[in-house]
Amino acid sequence: MEILLQLVYSGVALGMIYAVIAFGYQLTFQTSDTLNFGQGDALMLGAMVGLTLVNFGVNYWLVIPLVIVFGLLQGALVERIGVRPAIKIKSEFGWIMSTIALGIIFKNVAENIWGRDDLRFPSPLPEVPIKLLGANVMPMEILVVGGALLMMLAVEFFNRKTIYGKAVVATFNDRDAAKLMGINTGLVITFSYALSSATAGFAGVLIAPLTLTGATMGAVLGLKAFAVAIIGGLTSGLGIIVGGIILGVAETTTGFYISTGYKDVPGLVLLLLVLAFKPAGLFGKNAIKKV
Amino acid sequence: MNTRFAKLAIASAVLSAAGLAAAADPIKIGVAGPFTGGSSSMGVSMRDGVRLAAEEINKSGGVLGRQLQLVERDDEAKNERGVQIAQELINKEKVTATVGYINTGVALASQRFFQEAKIPVMNNVATGSVITQQFKDQPENYIFRNSAHDSIQAPMIVEESVTRRGFKKVAILADSTNYGQLGRADLEKALSAKGMKPVAIEKFNIKDVDMTAQLLKAKEAGAQAILTYGIGPELAQIANGMTKLGWKVPMIGSWTLSMANYIDNAGPGGEGARMPQTFIQEPTTPKRQSFIISYLKTFNPKNQRIDSPVSAAQGYDSIYLLAAAIRQANSTDGPKIKAALENLKTPVEGVVTTYNKPFTAQDHEAITANIPVFGEVKGQRVVYAYADDQKKASEVRVKK
Repeated sequence: MEILLQLVYSGVALGMIYAVIAFGYQLTFQTSDTLNFGQGDALMLGAMVGLTLVNFGVNYWLVIPLVIVFGLLQGALVERIGVRPAIKIKSEFGWIMSTIALGIIFKNVAENIWGRDDLRFPSPLPEVPIKLLGANVMPMEILVVGGALLMMLAVEFFNRKTIYGKAVVATFNDRDAAKLMGINTGLVITFSYALSSATAGFAGVLIAPLTLTGATMGAVLGLKAFAVAIIGGLTSGLGIIVGGIILGVAETTTGFYISTGYKDVPGLVLLLLVLAFKPAGLFGKNAIKKV
Repeated sequence: MNTRFAKLAIASAVLSAAGLAAAADPIKIGVAGPFTGGSSSMGVSMRDGVRLAAEEINKSGGVLGRQLQLVERDDEAKNERGVQIAQELINKEKVTATVGYINTGVALASQRFFQEAKIPVMNNVATGSVITQQFKDQPENYIFRNSAHDSIQAPMIVEESVTRRGFKKVAILADSTNYGQLGRADLEKALSAKGMKPVAIEKFNIKDVDMTAQLLKAKEAGAQAILTYGIGPELAQIANGMTKLGWKVPMIGSWTLSMANYIDNAGPGGEGARMPQTFIQEPTTPKRQSFIISYLKTFNPKNQRIDSPVSAAQGYDSIYLLAAAIRQANSTDGPKIKAALENLKTPVEGVVTTYNKPFTAQDHEAITANIPVFGEVKGQRVVYAYADDQKKASEVRVKK
């Protein structure tokens, strides 16, 4: 029992790492039906900028808002360069290549600035495990779970309760109608990209003390997060959290009970099942596309 | 008449200059390894060791009156990059010989081109047992090595954990690359030679961030020690995972536990890990002392700690071995250098050991089981695990 609990703890922590990244995919999908495939690289940039600031002697908790600002700018840049031209000409697929291309460019830039080695991100919390109901967790893991939930709640609150958030929702529901109602949809889309990169940057600083920090850290995590977004549903914040936890726990429990060689398999099988039977994701709303 | 003479003079001057240049054409040596990425601390240290040796040789007049020119290429630890580089070094750069290879997979994929082109390769870091055996069935084998191969390391690891420290139950954690899986097979073989079976054999992928499942399985199976085969970043995640589980057993593994990115990323949790080392950064002989001093002076590594002392020392020695062979062959012809390597007449004093007839036609391994010692991570550096070894370090261990 204690073992299972330990596996679940680790799975949840791992799953929340995936979920915070996946959340960024969901943010842009909600406004513009497009995704930033450079999400993993936005996360990496956030972590690297954060590490640089920490090494300059800036306090970890002060680094977070600075990285969020950096993420906002970086996301807006991606939207302006990569996505807007594609939306303008109503290209269905242009944004896929351009966001991937920008992601690769960011990775290469990071390799040139910070090198390609994995670096240590000093942990802001003591690196001593805490006993919780008989199994161990690291304080940093609690921070990741808490921070991720808090961030998602904040964004959800913003979208549901504020007038600006309503503009975001309106843009998602019907971009042309929203435009006619006087909403600057272009700005809303830019904003959603900025917000998605900001969450990715925040996630980067949050998880960096647990994973290692390096220019290549985004690749694997970004891909797993994409699987989470598909499983949970690209239109649902709750779905992302549940999807992340499912994938994380599936990885750790399969690793223990079946074989560590197969630990990535069940999550991906689930992905295939979801795509076959519930393409909008476990929690996604089936959108009817009117042509 | 006058102008004609002047023209002639200029022409002959140009010609003789060209002739001189031809005589002093540098000898090109390929250097291939990962200078970026997860195994870069080994690749860069190896390259720096190679640079240091080449520079020293060039300062004292070069080889056969010609300077050594290094052609360095970053294979990014990728097999396909290694293949491209091998072809470039052979066909475009026309190198005389190549040193390097950190990653067993890359070495296996790349060296077949050198074998076909009859150009010697000195593997100075990669440890996979099969590397020098790849072309054993061919009449001529151009692949040499001066690093401690896995069939030496695995029995050493088992000897250390089972015989010296008396652990009855051990678990193996190895990564899913060629390196990890070949090493795991060697470990299992060495254990079964002692009549033992590992209580758990677990796998992990490069870039994995969570090792809970693997460690819990080892823990549940009652492992008293963890034997590892992987590279720095993931090994650090294993140490971090143990800290998290509040379960601390000794880590004993292949020499990669001495990598800077293991030591740095594991922090205090990584202390005490032990691994076979051909070289430990301690000035135990005059040769080692001068090597360490000039390395630190030239490259000025962080905290005066060579990122991977073993790679640096082996990289340095590989160039001296090659230079000795080229001198003896009195030629840059591949088959002649190979023949000279297989029958080196004068001993080569290196950092790791003194190479007295290191290779024969049958045996292309310069390092034997008696040469490596055990290193231990202590105070963020690799030191001698046993005081006895340190005391006796000044007696250079030579090949048996």
